[in-house]
Amino acid sequence: MTKYRIKKPLATITTLCLLLGSSAVMGETTVNIAGWGAKSGPLRSFGVNSEAIIKAAVATVNKDGGITLANGSKAKLAFDYYDSGCNAEQGIAVARKVASETNALIGIGPTCSGVAAASFGVFQKKLDDNSDTGLQFPLLTDTAVRNGLAKISQWTFRNTPNEPDMYDKLFAWIAKNNPDVKTIYGGTETDQGHSAGTYSKVIVQAAVRHGFEWVNGPIDEVNGKIASGFKNVLSSSSNWLMGDTNFSVQARSFKKSKADLFIVSAHPFTTCGFLKELYRQKGMPKMLVGLTSSSSAEVMKGCAKQAEGMIIPTSFAPITDAAKEVAALAENNGGSADLHSAAAWENVMIIKQVMESVKITGDPAKLQEERRKIRDGLEALETTEGLLGTVTRVQDEGEALKPYVFVQAKNGSWDVVHDPR
Amino acid sequence: MGFDLVGIFQTVIDGVLFGSTYALIGMGFTLIFGAMEKLNMAFAASSIGGAYIGLGISTLLGLPLFLTFFIGPIAAGLLGLLVYLTCFRFIPTDNHLGSLMASIGALFFIDEVIIHETNGSPLNFPELGLFAEAYFEFGEFGFRGDLIFIMLLSFVFMGVIMYVLYKTRLGLATRAVSQQHIASLLCGIPTHKTNAVTFVLAGVLGGFAGCLVATSVGVISPLLTLPITIKGLIAAVIGGLGSIRGAIIAGLLIGGLENLFLLLRGVNERDIYVFLLLFLFLVFRPNGLFGSTINRD
Repeated sequence: MTKYRIKKPLATITTLCLLLGSSAVMGETTVNIAGWGAKSGPLRSFGVNSEAIIKAAVATVNKDGGITLANGSKAKLAFDYYDSGCNAEQGIAVARKVASETNALIGIGPTCSGVAAASFGVFQKKLDDNSDTGLQFPLLTDTAVRNGLAKISQWTFRNTPNEPDMYDKLFAWIAKNNPDVKTIYGGTETDQGHSAGTYSKVIVQAAVRHGFEWVNGPIDEVNGKIASGFKNVLSSSSNWLMGDTNFSVQARSFKKSKADLFIVSAHPFTTCGFLKELYRQKGMPKMLVGLTSSSSAEVMKGCAKQAEGMIIPTSFAPITDAAKEVAALAENNGGSADLHSAAAWENVMIIKQVMESVKITGDPAKLQEERRKIRDGLEALETTEGLLGTVTRVQDEGEALKPYVFVQAKNGSWDVVHDPR
Repeated sequence: MGFDLVGIFQTVIDGVLFGSTYALIGMGFTLIFGAMEKLNMAFAASSIGGAYIGLGISTLLGLPLFLTFFIGPIAAGLLGLLVYLTCFRFIPTDNHLGSLMASIGALFFIDEVIIHETNGSPLNFPELGLFAEAYFEFGEFGFRGDLIFIMLLSFVFMGVIMYVLYKTRLGLATRAVSQQHIASLLCGIPTHKTNAVTFVLAGVLGGFAGCLVATSVGVISPLLTLPITIKGLIAAVIGGLGSIRGAIIAGLLIGGLENLFLLLRGVNERDIYVFLLLFLFLVFRPNGLFGSTINRD
């Protein structure tokens, strides 16, 4: 009897607490977004940086009150980040899972161009095409930068730098300011889609367009147009693979070429390995141009001395108050802000703006309807506010034209040497 | 870009010098195979893991960076012991596939742990003091001082291992266990302890190798693990599994040929020829360069 007397009030109190607790939770609407990228494998840093910045951006949005819903109430933004590795199958699986098993209204990712190229193919290509059962889920990519991927599907958008535009402007600037630099030579990681694609289809053509000469005479079919003669560019260069450890042959070819400007289009590990070998062989040129992805802290950690003087165009540098704040927040969240990851911040802010402009309700029953609204809202954007200034949307391709600067490796850090904004 | 005889010779020499790192890894593979007749696929991963631990401890404790070359091998030796205990010790001796698969699992596990701890970022690795930027030029030829030093070290390590195997009780026990497992047990040789010590010894050797590979590239990255596992394994197989001398010679040979293929056929075809070489050996000379006569040191 005594036991019963104690148990009954206890049970009542517990039930009341649970009810009060759940009603408090129920009163707080959340709007979900998802992110995915490489959080395992050698390119893990991309995913870590992207996640850290999404986390910081979501916290900032929530600190400022959250998302304003259609009925005027506020909802908190919540996000889950998934590991798609740098693996196409894994990326496709994550995209399918997020689209079909979660309440996420939009995704941010992936980080690897190879994953993007493969996984964008499982999204519905043309809107309202009933014969296409592809995923109907909006995606705003932050990191995967290989040229021309977003147009694969009308559900996929990117807020990544426009490399053809940036390298075009870079070589125009070099030609104007360095009249003594006339000949070029280069190499890339042929097993990496972004490194090799950007090198052979974008960078060399941009250099040729602005009057630079390939050191051994013109390369067949390369006329300055994007992708012209790209196979011949690769066969005329000294290349390596991403896992290579010995760069002696390539460095010797670079040195022997005696070109004024070397193009090194690779990720940080082989950029550093190659530059160290070139430095040992005393083959450093008058000028070095690198791949956008190398304008990161990793190159400075790995080979600051050998990379000294390397010039890279980038869509991120901590030169505005907003960019400085994001760089600091990224560091506080265990990541690093660079041209790839900083876009994740912009993406969260774009998503907030779109969600509010299309007046989402946050009602899980209207999930598919609201995903479509957000997609349409993204497509309607003409400009967005980026960390370095206004970003112009190129909506027929789902791409962005972002402000950029040219940075140069100097004394262990990336210094802005030209700011055309 | 054209190439001439001087270029070809230079390329082969560069490759042979760099091949000394393959030789060191190949020696580790062969040492373990010689003792247990089993392949430890996690060997190169432990070697790079040791180098990472060495660099991490030196950096975190503010120690002089040259100590990385001493802490790394010790850490790799301990990792070797751990791999032995988890992948070999409790798997029945005649279950070769079991330990092989377990060690492949350990390879990926160690690799992923490194990736998670470093975010996969390449890290600057300490240089070999005076040898680091030494570059000897003789007319049109040039040779890297650090690689010459590494090559000399690999011969020193070979000498040390041969001494241990042939002049010490541990070596006698190791050879006895590898040749007649049951008979060695009957003679009172503690086989598990002998195998464990062999793994530690190979691990220490691997730790040196890992540090030397990283210093020769100039940076350390988890990306190093798989290529040196493959090249080290090819060196061990072509040299003759179990033959220390074979691993050294095959490592240098592979380094030279690999560079030559790179020069003549480009990077996309280079590895095809290296794997073709392995295939030809497996088909026509499965016991490796030195055949069955010195198959097992």
